[in-house]
Amino acid sequence: MITDIQTFFRELANSGINLTIFYDAFDFERFITGLGNTVLLILASTFFSIIIGAIGTAILTSGRAFPGFLVRSYVALFRNTPLIVQMYFFYFAIGSIMPVGQNELGLPEPLLGSFSWAVISLSLYAGAFNVETFRAGVGAVHGSYEEAAFALGYNRRQAFFAVTVPLALRFSFASLSNNLVDLTKATTVAYAVGVAELLYVSNQIWSDSLNTIEMMNVMLVIYLVLTGAVVFIINRVEAVMRLPGFGLGDNQ
Amino acid sequence: MINLKALALAACVAFISTAASAQSLECGDDTLCRVKAAGTLKIGTKDDYVPWSYRASDGSFMGMEVDIGKKIADGLGVKAEFVKVTSANRFEFLAQGQIDLMIASASDTADRRKIVSFVHPNYYSSGYSVLLPKTIKATEWKQISGQTVCAVQGAWYNKPAQQEFGVKILAFAGTAETEAAMKQGRCIGLLEDDNQINVRLSKEQWADYQMPLPVMAETPWGMAVRHDDQFSPFGYFVAGMVAQMHRDGTLLKLEADNGIKNSAYLIKMHEALKDHIN
Amino acid sequence: MTTSNLYLQILEWMPFVLQGFVMNILMSLLAIVIGTAVGTFLGLGQLSLNFTIGLPSKLLTQLFRNAPWLVLLFYCIFLMPYQVNIAGITIELPSWLRATIGFSFPVAANFSEIVRGAVKSVPRGQWEAAEALGYSRKATLFRIILPQCLTRMIPPWMNLYALLLTATPLSMIVGVEEALGRTQAAVQAQSDSRVLIPMYAALLAMFFLYTWPINRLSLVLERRFRTK
Repeated sequence: MITDIQTFFRELANSGINLTIFYDAFDFERFITGLGNTVLLILASTFFSIIIGAIGTAILTSGRAFPGFLVRSYVALFRNTPLIVQMYFFYFAIGSIMPVGQNELGLPEPLLGSFSWAVISLSLYAGAFNVETFRAGVGAVHGSYEEAAFALGYNRRQAFFAVTVPLALRFSFASLSNNLVDLTKATTVAYAVGVAELLYVSNQIWSDSLNTIEMMNVMLVIYLVLTGAVVFIINRVEAVMRLPGFGLGDNQ
Repeated sequence: MINLKALALAACVAFISTAASAQSLECGDDTLCRVKAAGTLKIGTKDDYVPWSYRASDGSFMGMEVDIGKKIADGLGVKAEFVKVTSANRFEFLAQGQIDLMIASASDTADRRKIVSFVHPNYYSSGYSVLLPKTIKATEWKQISGQTVCAVQGAWYNKPAQQEFGVKILAFAGTAETEAAMKQGRCIGLLEDDNQINVRLSKEQWADYQMPLPVMAETPWGMAVRHDDQFSPFGYFVAGMVAQMHRDGTLLKLEADNGIKNSAYLIKMHEALKDHIN
Repeated sequence: MTTSNLYLQILEWMPFVLQGFVMNILMSLLAIVIGTAVGTFLGLGQLSLNFTIGLPSKLLTQLFRNAPWLVLLFYCIFLMPYQVNIAGITIELPSWLRATIGFSFPVAANFSEIVRGAVKSVPRGQWEAAEALGYSRKATLFRIILPQCLTRMIPPWMNLYALLLTATPLSMIVGVEEALGRTQAAVQAQSDSRVLIPMYAALLAMFFLYTWPINRLSLVLERRFRTK
């Protein structure tokens, strides 16, 4: 079966469509590793970016001046500069002043590798967008809900977490899904700091086999599937969390 | 509404800069004729490969390959125009006609010959090895198996080094990044071509490093032209220029001028082709 | 070498990098114009009740919105010809122009969604009221709905522009002479890994100083246009 598939793609290569990943074991292995790393990058950065978004929003809505200023500066800085430059900066600039450990040869070895830096960078980037999304979600919750909670004896903190946040989350889904699709696509940038994700391995493969266009097509299909999966999952979550009779009604 | 003037300007620039070069139509497929009619030879070269091809701060190109390109353009009596190419796009740029000649430290391999034609004789040659700190006592490739080395994305030897010697590759866009990564301890050494390592070792800042492993897979570099141009006046002209530059020692001189120790390949080629009289 | 020498050295390379940044701006301006024009049609197409217009518009929007920018860029660089012959005149499409076209696709798709979202944000009651007054669907859209949407579309449109500008360095990978690629070349030519950090800091600053005011402006406009 596997040899049949390999034979088929080998013959296809002779006719001009050279998909080495389906018949060359080395390329196949590289490619699967790349796919795995891309998925890991998406999962880890999605997780951390949502946490960053939540914390940032909590700080902004708390109304304290200085922490609020810090969060706004963070958002402005990360939204207005190219991710690829941010990633370089983290990896080469901040990475060079971080403490180092030692490897088995007795040589210095940084504690955080390429993958960790990529996750940190992607999370901070997507986190900045998530802060704005959640912040807008909180803003969309009408003040009367909070007042009703106060009337029922909730204090500010309780009202925020028990009433405002659950409602704000539901208002945020459309924009959050947008952010996460962008994040999924943005993971390709991690190739710049040597993370063996899809673009990185594809680049290696097409440098070796000179099949750029074929690999581009493969990447297009895979990313459409990945972004499709992200949208699907968010829609499912949204559907599960849907409150009957509550929502944006006709508008959405 | 916003920046309307700038937009209009940009659109104008786009069209004026593109709607030119109509006089070259009579030449048909003859690249030599087209180049002469246009008065410029478009040469694709990298801009991150010190000292073979790199940039000066005014944006112009420098290096040994750039000097070779200028000699060829001089021979044709036209101006050399250098176009930046990268490992990912150089073959496509040549095929599309964005450049007519590629001098971009490309090793002349069988896979690549399917896509472009390399001009012979080859103008340079290199193998690959690893730059290691002197603290690492390794003299054979198998001793660094399983270790991470830094490399540049798109280098052809990344795959054989992984497959044959089991090293792990951490690849970046250019050599400044690989150096920085090695200094941060992200890899034990740099996987590079042996000429480049020799250039580094001739400098004081690399005094604590060496090239202890044998040089592998010595492969000649080739200038590339489109398949149609290989056996055409243009292809023959470039081939003749390269042979002449081997014969009269120009390549050896350009190598030395750019601070590279004369390589065994160029010395061998000069010996083979040099004038038998004198 | 002393620190001041290092700064001088970096300063020497700034004109080279800034020229590249002008290319980023040029590409982004052209791409936003093309993308907005195409995106308007796609967005209105998405709203069409006609199946043969609505479905392709939706499909194209989703395709270009979800494909990585870099992949679209590669298609345009490698699949579009370098020269086109129109009526005996050879028109060259240099790589920056093809990259610009590559950027226009995702911009168009995103703008298409902005148009759709803005139209949908107008309460349905207005459509019904217009219908009751005898307006056709087309007349309702162009006379009543879109004029209201225009102001609502400007803030997300400006955000899209900022996003586009920060994406233009991707074109470095396909060999366009823009700021990031030039920064890399400059770092390479100086053969000194100490310049890596300040060179990239300068690049970050360029992008920030250009896009941040745009982002602020869009926030101000958003507040002004907000209807409650």
